[in-house]
Amino acid sequence: MDYEFPDNLKYTKTHEWLRIEDNTATVGITDFAQRQLGDIVYIELPEKGAILEKQSSVGEIESVKAVGELLMPLSGKIIEVNSNLVDNPELVNSSPYGPGWILKLEYTNELEINDLFSVEDYKRIAEEEN
Amino acid sequence: MDFISHDEKTIAEMLKIINVSEIDDLFQDIPKDLIIKSLNISDGMSEPDVLNKMREYGKKNKIYPHSFLGAGCYYHYIPSLVDFVISRSEFYTSYTPYQAEASQGYLQAIYEYQSIISRLTEMEIANASMYDGSTSLAEAAIMASIITGKNQVILLEGVHPEYIEVVKTYCWGQNIELKITSENKLNDVLNEDIAAVMFQSPNFFGDITDGLVMSNKVKEKYPNCLLIQCMTDPTCLGLLKPPGKTNIDIFVAEGQSFGIDPSFGGPGLGIFTAKKKFLRKIPGRLVGKTKEINGDRDGFLLTLQAREQHIRREKASSNICTNQALCSLSALIYLVSLGKTGLREIATQNFQKAHYVKNAIALIPGYEILNKKPTYNEFIVRCPNINGLIRECKKMNLLPPLQVSTYYPEMSDVVLVCVTELNSSSSIEKFIKAAKLAINNEEERAD
Repeated sequence: MDYEFPDNLKYTKTHEWLRIEDNTATVGITDFAQRQLGDIVYIELPEKGAILEKQSSVGEIESVKAVGELLMPLSGKIIEVNSNLVDNPELVNSSPYGPGWILKLEYTNELEINDLFSVEDYKRIAEEEN
Repeated sequence: MDFISHDEKTIAEMLKIINVSEIDDLFQDIPKDLIIKSLNISDGMSEPDVLNKMREYGKKNKIYPHSFLGAGCYYHYIPSLVDFVISRSEFYTSYTPYQAEASQGYLQAIYEYQSIISRLTEMEIANASMYDGSTSLAEAAIMASIITGKNQVILLEGVHPEYIEVVKTYCWGQNIELKITSENKLNDVLNEDIAAVMFQSPNFFGDITDGLVMSNKVKEKYPNCLLIQCMTDPTCLGLLKPPGKTNIDIFVAEGQSFGIDPSFGGPGLGIFTAKKKFLRKIPGRLVGKTKEINGDRDGFLLTLQAREQHIRREKASSNICTNQALCSLSALIYLVSLGKTGLREIATQNFQKAHYVKNAIALIPGYEILNKKPTYNEFIVRCPNINGLIRECKKMNLLPPLQVSTYYPEMSDVVLVCVTELNSSSSIEKFIKAAKLAINNEEERAD
């Protein structure tokens, strides 16, 4: 299994990754998720300013053969969305951790970060699902 | 690929696995008194004898050569070209013809149907079609609820009463609250929790509403509220302003008037169109055009299937996974053979003939035209002797107009008259004569 999972990121069991800086987190989907979905053709992004609870549905990622739900990894406010994905949804396939980032949020509950997975734990989850 | 039926051995094996002794046992849920025990035809008759017997039975049907009945199902001219094309066995008998590798002909036809409907209605997108007008309206309500995230929908009186029943059923199934109100009371019921306002124009009683006036009225206060319009006879689009110019969000119609015989009340054709921004939320099939990988030829295929229930499952906005292929082909051939000028001519004749009858009836003492808005090919009339009118029509071999009390018992002396391009001047003169004779019939007036 030759997926890429950077070790400076946090992960969720629903295949989102987070880069946490100060009180914000940049969120995307993992290399494993993009491979499972196949060619992504459309991403439904949330509204900037939306305030959502952890685990709630925050967007949808559509490929030719499937639709995946994007879940809020932490409770908070959406402060930015990657509008490049509107015209170039394939960025999520080609660079899921770089230009394929999906949204930035300001988290409201620091304690929730403890529930996130380390790269090692996530590698195990991905392996099991494979 | 030819159809291969099951043989006795295979059937026996399948029955054994599900622990059923005979096929009839699978129909246990049907009440016994509804099951046909035998057909009213003797065994062992020769083919000519059977045909003669069936003709005898057929003669018991009363077929009227002229009709003044509409109310959702219409007698219109059908160009012979329609039957000629759809009778090709490749079109007539194919089942779910959506595989790109096997059905390029049908997929192209559906693509062209979508395109022509989009052009005619001037709505940005049209799907491959739904079952009929009523379910299209119901699905539009669900679609609006999903788009807006709200579960209340307003439906204006004047929508076909049978459509209202279908919408009620779908809304009940999807936990959508349906509020039925009149246009006058709309402002009292409208609020920010409403997903959509649905109306019919021309409506069940014949009234035409300007969609632009309606959408301005609603969206001025509630810009996020969707407008849904339905229509039962879209031949009027040959004359009236197209919905695409009225800011309507979803436009649906019964396409039976486009080249489909009224038959016994079906099949119908659900025309379904919407604004392009709702592309990913519309139900039904969508056919797209693309290029082959190893060449330069155009090809047709189903597209945007991630909307559909076999991929999106419980998150899909609809469970429909088909279209009315043969009927959509009929509509395509109908519209293409008439063309712009032909459809305009048909619409003009409907309008003019109906207004001729309307004006003539209005002149007969005792009759009252009840419409307050402009009408197309249908209008409602209060009659001094409704039973007399029905009887005189039948005597003259005219299929009488609908007695509105069928749906609205309080309107016991009102008929819904429909006049199309097929009504000849002689049938029209007979109808007017029938209306005059009905007044003179004293016995029936005592009813």
